[in-house]
Amino acid sequence: MIASGLPAGGDWIEALLVMVLVTGAFVVTRKDLLSLVSAYQLQSLLLSVIAVSLYLSNGSEMLLYLAVLTVTSKVILIPYAIKKIQKEIKISRDIDFHYLSPMESITAMIFLILLVYGSFTKILRELSPGDLFYLGAVFGISLTLMGMLITFSRKKVITKVIGYLTMENGVLLFSLFLTELPFMIEVLVMIDLFMIVLLAAILSIGVDSSVEEFREKFNAIHIPRLQKRFEHLRKRNGEEA
Amino acid sequence: MLSTAFYVGAALLLLGTVLPLVRIGGDGVMRRIALFFSMLALLVFISFSVFILYTNQQVYLAPYGIAPGLVLSFRIDRLAAFFILLISVVALSASIYSVQYIGHWHGEKRKNILTGLMNLFIAAMLFVVSSANMFAFLFFWEIMSMSSFALVLFEYEKPETRKAGLFYFIMTQLSTLFLTAGFLGLNAVTGSFAIQPADIGTGAAGVVFLALFVGFGIKAGVIPFHKWLPYAHTASPSNISALMSGVMIKVAIYGLMRFTLTVLQPETWWGVLILVAGTLSAILGVIYALKEHDIKRLLAYHSIENIGIILIGFGAYIIFTNNNLPDIAMLCLLGSLFHVLNHAVFKSLLFLTAGSVVYRTGERNIEDMGGLVKRMPYTALFFLVGAVSISGLPPFNGFVSELMIFTALLQSYALVDPFMKVLMLSSLAILALTSALASACFVKAFGITFLAAPRSDNAKNAKEVGKYMLLGPMILAFLCMSLGIFSYQIFAGAGYVLPIPDLLLIGSFLAAAYVLAWFVLKNVSSSAERMGETWGCGILTQTGRNEYTASGYSQPIVRIFSSIYRTKEVREATYFDESKSLFVQGSAEIHLVKFFEEALYLPIARLVNSLSEKVSRLQNWNLDTYLAYVFIAAVLIMVYVGWFI
Repeated sequence: MIASGLPAGGDWIEALLVMVLVTGAFVVTRKDLLSLVSAYQLQSLLLSVIAVSLYLSNGSEMLLYLAVLTVTSKVILIPYAIKKIQKEIKISRDIDFHYLSPMESITAMIFLILLVYGSFTKILRELSPGDLFYLGAVFGISLTLMGMLITFSRKKVITKVIGYLTMENGVLLFSLFLTELPFMIEVLVMIDLFMIVLLAAILSIGVDSSVEEFREKFNAIHIPRLQKRFEHLRKRNGEEA
Repeated sequence: MLSTAFYVGAALLLLGTVLPLVRIGGDGVMRRIALFFSMLALLVFISFSVFILYTNQQVYLAPYGIAPGLVLSFRIDRLAAFFILLISVVALSASIYSVQYIGHWHGEKRKNILTGLMNLFIAAMLFVVSSANMFAFLFFWEIMSMSSFALVLFEYEKPETRKAGLFYFIMTQLSTLFLTAGFLGLNAVTGSFAIQPADIGTGAAGVVFLALFVGFGIKAGVIPFHKWLPYAHTASPSNISALMSGVMIKVAIYGLMRFTLTVLQPETWWGVLILVAGTLSAILGVIYALKEHDIKRLLAYHSIENIGIILIGFGAYIIFTNNNLPDIAMLCLLGSLFHVLNHAVFKSLLFLTAGSVVYRTGERNIEDMGGLVKRMPYTALFFLVGAVSISGLPPFNGFVSELMIFTALLQSYALVDPFMKVLMLSSLAILALTSALASACFVKAFGITFLAAPRSDNAKNAKEVGKYMLLGPMILAFLCMSLGIFSYQIFAGAGYVLPIPDLLLIGSFLAAAYVLAWFVLKNVSSSAERMGETWGCGILTQTGRNEYTASGYSQPIVRIFSSIYRTKEVREATYFDESKSLFVQGSAEIHLVKFFEEALYLPIARLVNSLSEKVSRLQNWNLDTYLAYVFIAAVLIMVYVGWFI
């Protein structure tokens, strides 16, 4: 827990937290790619402002580093890269959804936030943190779940990437308020690595495809071959039987 | 000293496993050295076990930890030594037999694999019976199952072998599943994995017993879990069939006896269950065998029958013990154990000699054999010894063990409970019928295979097998005879004086009578050869086609038991017109209903299939679906943590 002790500007931070959640909801529902990236940018900026506010109230320098890192990477570099790719692939809207439509997603998220709130009431009862930390932790987990929801409900790979990035922001938020940083850094690094691998694969094969098209381009990897082999075997066994 | 002998034997057997695989494509030198090592190892194990049996001591070996908390520990007492003895004797004969038998397969690689796996299989069986904790037991049990599975699949090019392999694999894994459940149940109550007396409540003990009974029952081929046995024993090479039928199914009997007697305190209903399962297996096994014309499958069904006889003895032991009749109970247990040994000896003898016949004729159907007694006289003699032993005729070994069980069951009138009396006497009656039918079946097996004129070119051109393929069965044939004749002395030496006849005396009288008869016939009757035409129903030259066939021989018995061999008629016809009066063509077939397969196995298989189809829909090769699973899992964890902890 970096932000130990009660911060002076509690209300101010609470307002920022709510705004983070609003940007999350925005990412879940928007179809326009440009506004998705902008929402992510804003979300990251809000996170760094929260980090700075916490720094001002209790003075851990780590928080300041974190804010600087967030601004450079998530407010400037990553959105810049995504916008550049977006221009190249010439798509501006992601209108394909899987399993959940935007309205259903947002409704599901409302219930999930309530669920997380309920669960954490029990889990954190013994820790008895202050109200603000409690809210920060709940919002952090909720944001992570929102990111996860985006990863499977959107078809375009580029939107999935924004989902992953939102997930990471959720973990960061959680770590700001509740958990020890070294452990959380490892989680962050893992998610980052995952993202790097995913991005590298996407950039090399084609960022403008949905997963189904993507898979067809993916023939070099053995999974489809295995699947074919499996079907072949099943047919042969069927003939024998 | 004793533990050193065990280590030496184990090391030699493991060398025998590794050596053929070191130079897998090389010539047969390593293979022969490996077989020599395994024979040496088995001789060591035979001496080791005989010593323990007659001195009645226990040997503990240093435990060996393969991972934290997972320790292999070994203890050999009298019961374990008895099973080590029978495994070693049968495996020794099979190894000698294999020196030539393995040579006839094609490809050095395959021969080397066969040899290596066979030695691994033998070693695993020996280690299972030596295990002192459940982990070691299960560990070696799995090695035994997997090596035998690979051996069943030896001729994997044939579709029927693949089917047998699949059947065997599923059943053997089911067996392990039930055993694991039983062991974990025991561990949950006692907190220990050691195979030692456990003081647990009757309810828990009953559940553990049921799990173990099903687990061991599958491996032993007890009806209704028997279906893998006729397939697997037929598909595997004959030396392996001898080992599987002779000893592997006995390892399951060992497990059942070990856990029922040493670990748990058996209740009367367990005895009733074992007795009923045994009786059912005995009678149905022999009835199915009567119908078979495939010599190896016929022998496989007889294994089911004999496992039934062993279980009848064991079930009766539990019932008599719980009714305070220790003497009769001991007679049952000894009879059952002696039958374990005897069946191991004569069944491997029969499988090895049947293997020789198949090796020379290339046929498994006895209808295509005949006349082999002149072409393969020694093989025929050894098969006859096996057939006479399994039919329970004096003075051979099968007679003694069956007599012991009969004698014990005949004393069921001493039981107080009338239900038990009726049950035991019914079982006795069915056992008697089983023995009679077994004799009839082996008259068929021997007569149709070896006597009269050959019914195929393959049979006509058959030759006697080589000396190693005769030496292996010869040892077993000798044992069949000596275990019968010296049975009284053997038991007396081990400290049991039993109410069984001294067959040495009777055997001597019988031998004297035979010698006298031979002497009289030789000297008194005319030895001049006379040539003459025998009456052949008006047909001048008799051929193999005029002979009694196996189907013809078994027809009356099959008719008697026709209600058990259920048949199904399938008629198909096409007509020119709708009123079905102008017939175009049609077919009618009569199938034998495979009752257990169609009423029990296939419905279960279909159920599992439809369930797995439903489950496999979860796997749809779609990234989004998998991500959704992760999401759902995260939400479920949240619900669990929040509301259930």
